Amino acid sequence: MKRTTKILAVLASFGFVLTLAAPILAAQLKSPGTVKTALRLLVQVSNDFKRQIANKNFARVPHEYMEYTEAADALRSAIKDEPADFKAKVETRLKAAVAAAKTVSDMSGNTTDADKLAAEHAKAVTAMNSVFDLFPADLRPDPNAPPPGRGAKKN
Amino acid sequence: MKVRITGPGAGCTPHDTLAEVMNFNGLFLAPLSRRRLLFGSLIIPLALVGCGRKRTSSGQQIVDLFIESDGDFLAFRPDTLTCPSGALVRLTFHHAGQFLSALHNWVLVSPHQMEAVDKDVEKTDGIISKDDSRVIAAVPMCGKGETVMTQFTAPPPGDYPFFCSTPGHAVDMNGILHVTE
Repeated sequence: MKRTTKILAVLASFGFVLTLAAPILAAQLKSPGTVKTALRLLVQVSNDFKRQIANKNFARVPHEYMEYTEAADALRSAIKDEPADFKAKVETRLKAAVAAAKTVSDMSGNTTDADKLAAEHAKAVTAMNSVFDLFPADLRPDPNAPPPGRGAKKN
Repeated sequence: MKVRITGPGAGCTPHDTLAEVMNFNGLFLAPLSRRRLLFGSLIIPLALVGCGRKRTSSGQQIVDLFIESDGDFLAFRPDTLTCPSGALVRLTFHHAGQFLSALHNWVLVSPHQMEAVDKDVEKTDGIISKDDSRVIAAVPMCGKGETVMTQFTAPPPGDYPFFCSTPGHAVDMNGILHVTE
């Protein structure tokens, strides 16, 4: 009898540990490195978008939008092996972020008002951040982090 | 064959074959002792490095440099290069991107000219004019996976900035060529 109780206790504690670990395991992505790269690319292109607007280089804005869609595709590819419900959540928010970026791109053909474009770009950044919210904090890029290269101009 | 090594590969000529270099001092003709093994493991890499230094028929030193984009990120890898003044530099640039269609290049300019050149080429979508006297060397724009080359004579000693001239890239994608005596 005592032995059965012991076995049951061991099994119960094992089950308890598994229950606790399940959300942690679920939060783990299959290709975290690739996901991190794709998220960083989205930030990089978004920052480049912002820079072209600030420099009033409006002709480059549609090109930045194209790169943004490529970075979005990189993220889709990075999560292709994740569960369907997670992919669906990401896709919904990613579509909204890409649509917001397209609005900036389309506007750049009709206006030369950098402030107006910057305000629209800020909305696109908010949409992009809602995509990032779906990923573990350690994979989310820090928009204020220095770029991987030398960063500031060394003239 | 006599080989005098006083520095990394000094004394080697481009005509020395690998076998000749490895064979010196009977290193591979006698049974390997621990001392010989240690000596060989230290000397052979030095000798091989030295033999990478070539010269033109006129005696000008040839230096091969390689640089690439940091994948799709706006950065060079490595972001500092070194060569001696007067050398014929053969530089290979590789666009290591996989996802983005952004074009990259490598442009070397005179000190303190990067910002001005970068600003000027915004109008030409980053295309560098061959007549721009501030530009020392440049490779053409290339897309992901492409590799391009250029060659130039290294300028007088000093630090020379290089950057990618695609509009908006130079602020992050830049580096320094250290030209030594």
